[in-house]
Amino acid sequence: MKRETAWRVFAGEYNESNRVIRGEGKKPSYVITPLGAKVNRLFIVGVLTDVEPLTEGNDFIRAHVSDPTGIYTLYSGQFQPEVTSTLLNSDIPSFVALVGKCRIFEPEEGVVYVSVRPEAVYQVDGDARDRWILETCKSTMERIEALREAKKLSQPNAHDLRKLGYSRALSEGVIEAVKYYKEIDLDKYISMVEEALRYLVPEETEIKEEESAQEVSDEIENLVLGIIKELEGEEGALWDSIVEKCVQAGLDKSTAEEAIAALLDKGLVYEPVLGTIKTT
Amino acid sequence: MGEDISTYIEDIISNIGDETKREALEKEFKKFIEFGVPPDYAKRILLGKFAKDKKRKKLLELKGKESSVNLLCKVITINEKEITARGKSKKILYGLIGDESGVLPFTSWNTSISLEKGEVIEVKNAYAREWQGGVQVNFGERTVIEKVDEDRLPEISLEPKKCKIADLHNVFGPIEITVKVLDVSKKEVEVDGERREVFSGIVGDDTGKAQYTAWHDFNLKEGEVIKISGGYARSWKGIPQIVFDERCKVEKVDRDIEVCSRKLPIHKLVEMRGGIDVMVEGTVIEIKSGSGYIERCPDCNRPTINGECKVHGKVNGIPDLRIKMVVDDGSAGIGVIVGRELTERLINKSIDECRQMGRDKVMEILEKNLLTKRVLLKGNAIGDDFGTTLIAKEIEVLDVDLKGEALNLLQRLEEI
Repeated sequence: MKRETAWRVFAGEYNESNRVIRGEGKKPSYVITPLGAKVNRLFIVGVLTDVEPLTEGNDFIRAHVSDPTGIYTLYSGQFQPEVTSTLLNSDIPSFVALVGKCRIFEPEEGVVYVSVRPEAVYQVDGDARDRWILETCKSTMERIEALREAKKLSQPNAHDLRKLGYSRALSEGVIEAVKYYKEIDLDKYISMVEEALRYLVPEETEIKEEESAQEVSDEIENLVLGIIKELEGEEGALWDSIVEKCVQAGLDKSTAEEAIAALLDKGLVYEPVLGTIKTT
Repeated sequence: MGEDISTYIEDIISNIGDETKREALEKEFKKFIEFGVPPDYAKRILLGKFAKDKKRKKLLELKGKESSVNLLCKVITINEKEITARGKSKKILYGLIGDESGVLPFTSWNTSISLEKGEVIEVKNAYAREWQGGVQVNFGERTVIEKVDEDRLPEISLEPKKCKIADLHNVFGPIEITVKVLDVSKKEVEVDGERREVFSGIVGDDTGKAQYTAWHDFNLKEGEVIKISGGYARSWKGIPQIVFDERCKVEKVDRDIEVCSRKLPIHKLVEMRGGIDVMVEGTVIEIKSGSGYIERCPDCNRPTINGECKVHGKVNGIPDLRIKMVVDDGSAGIGVIVGRELTERLINKSIDECRQMGRDKVMEILEKNLLTKRVLLKGNAIGDDFGTTLIAKEIEVLDVDLKGEALNLLQRLEEI
């Protein structure tokens, strides 16, 4: 029996899984995530947010670990006494790293709840958590790419995916995900990765983005102001004709209306009569 | 209903791999359905019928998932092995078969089949499986084998296949490879009562290193580059080996080649099982108990427990220092063993200092230095049924440039 890979999967992806491949006999079971990770074991670094004993003797506990995308639920019992006591004695909140097995609860067919049974838990620092976020972003992106490649194949199959360099487990998982989840909202996972990465990059790039967003809206407002000046005459310009002219200029309706509202807020235009706009 | 039929037809067509049969197949399938035969059953019957006269596949077309294939091939090598299956011992045959496309390994589980080296055979209903990263042909209970005239097979491809060291775990049959000889040693062995000289050592190219065994004196010299045509690849616990003898052509090549190891994703190493001087990068996710400061029995080298050896009782233990850990890059995990000297350097403590600190303190230092850290490793790796273990020759704890790597990923994300 070969060692099971410790997958890096964000809580936001893991918790969305509802496909399970049950192992028969001595074969292990796997959770297939929406992006095609074929998981039996996970490596997680995150923030321990709470630990709650479920029995009086404290020999069965539930705990939660959060990452930038969601929250993992952990269960630990008498068969992992060290893990159970480490969790009970940890500060809350604190950074923890853990290696754990998938725990699957299937109350009825088609309904799957996944959680984690930790095999080992360590106290770590914020750097360890940041390194993990980076690794997990990388792994998640690899899955997104593999899924895209699989969908390009006329008949998606693991053999052709492996030829592209993906591991056997990932290739098999991705094919299963394509079959089972049908419509996977990749954009949702792309923005999940993006948000997690933003977490690692200090504000400067965000500011840059805000600045550039600012530049764009300035440009739009100038354009709209020009249109108003063109139309206003003595009486002012009708709201609807301004919007119409803006749409002709290539803006969409809501952007145009937002820009007029912004100009009003700034006092660059005013509304002499309801529905009519005039420059100040 | 119409849509239902097409998925069954698709399945059968892809199985028999013959598009020209589609029309006839559809006609017969519809007839079965009209008679009220369940489609699953109809599929089974028609699959059997159409598979009988389906075209033969060439060996290198096989993907490792085919459940019923017909072949025409030559038995290149054949060996016998005794195995125990369900408490009974039985003899199975294994070896290599080849056709005009190439060579593949096979195993015959069917005890009623007998084969001889050099025979050309027509095979019906064999199946293919993936095995250790390659494709293997299997002859089972339902496989039928018929000896045929040798000239039925156009010509078997024994043309040596050009490859590099990184490909060795995946090629069968003769190879052509250009390598640099890194060392040579000569020894004498007895084969069938005859004394023979063998030359062995390590060779390398720009994809890695391998061991070699030459059953002939090619006058190999350290540092020279040679082209071997007609050698064979073998593997021991995943360590690639090249075997060649006087039937092979060995030429000196008048240019230097760079020998280096590429950094492999860990799943690739586990798939190859092992290798010489391989390089991997991953995260330390576990430090096994038994790591750190230990004492060993002077007689048998086993670690002692409370000053006692399991076999030799109370002994004067010899101090040692080592790390046993699991390194995983998210694609797969391997065991890693770090010996005394590397460990001393890594934690900047001598073995004497470690003895004075005590085991718990040493373990604490190891965890602090390694757990959840990214490491770059180089060494020899060997594989067995439980996975792959790398014996470290070099280890480096890497500083991760979080911001830089995150910005790179953000950029890549936009291109996705």
